[in-house]
Amino acid sequence: MALMMGGDPGVSAFPEGDNIFSWVGTIAGSAATAYEGTSYRLSLAFPGEYPYKPPKVRFETPCFHPNVDAHGNICLDILQDKWSSAYDVRTILLSIQSLLGEPNNDSPLNTQAAALWPNQDEFRKMVEKLYKPTA
Amino acid sequence: MAAAGTSSSSSSDHLSRTAHHLISPVLPRPVPSIRFGPSPPRLQATRDLELPFSLSLSLSRPRVRLPPRDTARSVRGGAKPGGRGKRMASEDGCGGGNPPGDAAAAPPVWNTAPAAGAGCGDLEEDLRFQCCVCLELLYKPVVIACGHMSCFWCVHNAMHIIRESHCAVCRQPYKHFPSICQLLHHLLIKLEPVEYKRREKEVLEDEKRVDTYSPQIIEFLNSKSNDCEIDGENRPEESNSRPPQEVTSDGNTINGHPKKVKLEDVSCALCKELLYQPAVLNCGHVYCMSCLSSLDDGALKCQVCGGLHPGDFPNVCLDLDHFIEDYFPAEYDLRREKIKLLKGECNQGSSSGTSCTKEGRGRPTNKENRAHQDDDLSDVHIGVGCDSCGMYPIRGKRYKCKDCTELIGFDLCEECYNTKSKLPGRFNQHHTPDHRMELDHSALFNRLMRLQGIHEEGPGEIIIEGAFVSPDAVVHIIADDHEEIEDNGEDDHLL
Repeated sequence: MALMMGGDPGVSAFPEGDNIFSWVGTIAGSAATAYEGTSYRLSLAFPGEYPYKPPKVRFETPCFHPNVDAHGNICLDILQDKWSSAYDVRTILLSIQSLLGEPNNDSPLNTQAAALWPNQDEFRKMVEKLYKPTA
Repeated sequence: MAAAGTSSSSSSDHLSRTAHHLISPVLPRPVPSIRFGPSPPRLQATRDLELPFSLSLSLSRPRVRLPPRDTARSVRGGAKPGGRGKRMASEDGCGGGNPPGDAAAAPPVWNTAPAAGAGCGDLEEDLRFQCCVCLELLYKPVVIACGHMSCFWCVHNAMHIIRESHCAVCRQPYKHFPSICQLLHHLLIKLEPVEYKRREKEVLEDEKRVDTYSPQIIEFLNSKSNDCEIDGENRPEESNSRPPQEVTSDGNTINGHPKKVKLEDVSCALCKELLYQPAVLNCGHVYCMSCLSSLDDGALKCQVCGGLHPGDFPNVCLDLDHFIEDYFPAEYDLRREKIKLLKGECNQGSSSGTSCTKEGRGRPTNKENRAHQDDDLSDVHIGVGCDSCGMYPIRGKRYKCKDCTELIGFDLCEECYNTKSKLPGRFNQHHTPDHRMELDHSALFNRLMRLQGIHEEGPGEIIIEGAFVSPDAVVHIIADDHEEIEDNGEDDHLL
């Protein structure tokens, strides 16, 4: 199990229970971003065609972010049309981690978050307000 | 220079081997190689076998992705996206030979092997010939024009059935499924005989399951001669990229320490010297970059098999280049200097020639095609590839063999049909030039049937497919309309 963690800071992932098609990942907000000090849980559901098809990744911890909707769905190109069969859980989580600090405000799922993004102090407050860490 | 290089590398070799023995039992795979998520889905079979998870990490059979989509599908029947699971289950049924012991023992074996090579020793070296998709040792490696390589099936399965495909590593678009690089294939047999054999067995079992096979490359494990070359020449498609070679025995030494690979094993098909900055053509034959650019006069034609190289001017296959540089440092240096000299002589000639062709020929066509592909799908033969040039999917006219009985069928694109390609097929079909070919003119009908065939596998799949490609309304509507139809048709021939 320790193998799952290659030592990348801030991301980890493990299979959820007996089902190896379903994983739970954790990412920590990067320092110097509005998400610093937070830690988010995500679920990853792998299709049978993996790695030729991307896994379905969702935030389980509520996340206030321009590209994450209220249900935790993520709008990220590499999880959709830019998927590559060479991606793995580590690269996915690292991508999401960097998405936190660098949202794509051009195609927001959460328009409120996108509108607030330029104001980083207010944004940080909202992130904290809506952040409900899972046990 | 040579002497110094070798003595230092031999001592580091010794060290690394020792280190490796210390490490490998603990770490079946070097940490960096661990694909975090990937293992999961692939491990279903393991789960069914109720093997401990730790073991399953090294168990590779379940990881092997399956062959041609459509055939895989028909085997899976109506299974939904999770269909692989069904396949895996049946795999467990017949694949009683999934001995945990065997699998568990294997990975360390190939991990240690490169260390036994020459100057390669640290953990990273072990990953050199690892497939970035299945994370196993490359099996029947295919090199895409961008210079990245994967296993035959890993490339084919990742190719887009409707549009151009993109390299899994660099995303460079490509439209032709390259042939297996036999030079690499034989190189790997020598470097990792045990692991390669294991991979062969495991892939073959998967292939049996879907009744579709990758090209048989005549192995020369049994031969100490050039027998394989003769067989290779029977099938121009697979004609050997390698110059005549002998199997080196372990006792063979070069520069004082044993080398499994000889210089001839990694030499250019044109200059016959050690490959320097090797690039692989679509046909799988390997040339020095400098030789290729000297060849290039409009169309890139392989000097071994005569095949025209479609698509972009190939990039250097860096993995192979680095391997050669490490393995034959002295010889590689010599080659480098020689080529520098040559370049110096005709300074503008060769170097600017290369970049010219790269930009002048490759890129624009590429863009053109992409634009073309994006707007019109009407002439695409979804999931059907040309068995000669590898174009996948075929666009334009498609000629279909009436006599090939293989599940996957035998198809040619218009160009290859007109040039009377005599290649036997990319999936080990037994196609011969006297087979009757017919124009597949029921394109629309076929497309409907094929779509519906895809759809039968599970609605999820086609929708994903559609989303992948583009939000193509037509695709969706057709899929919906034909949801009920049972006939899978015989049109599911892939490539």
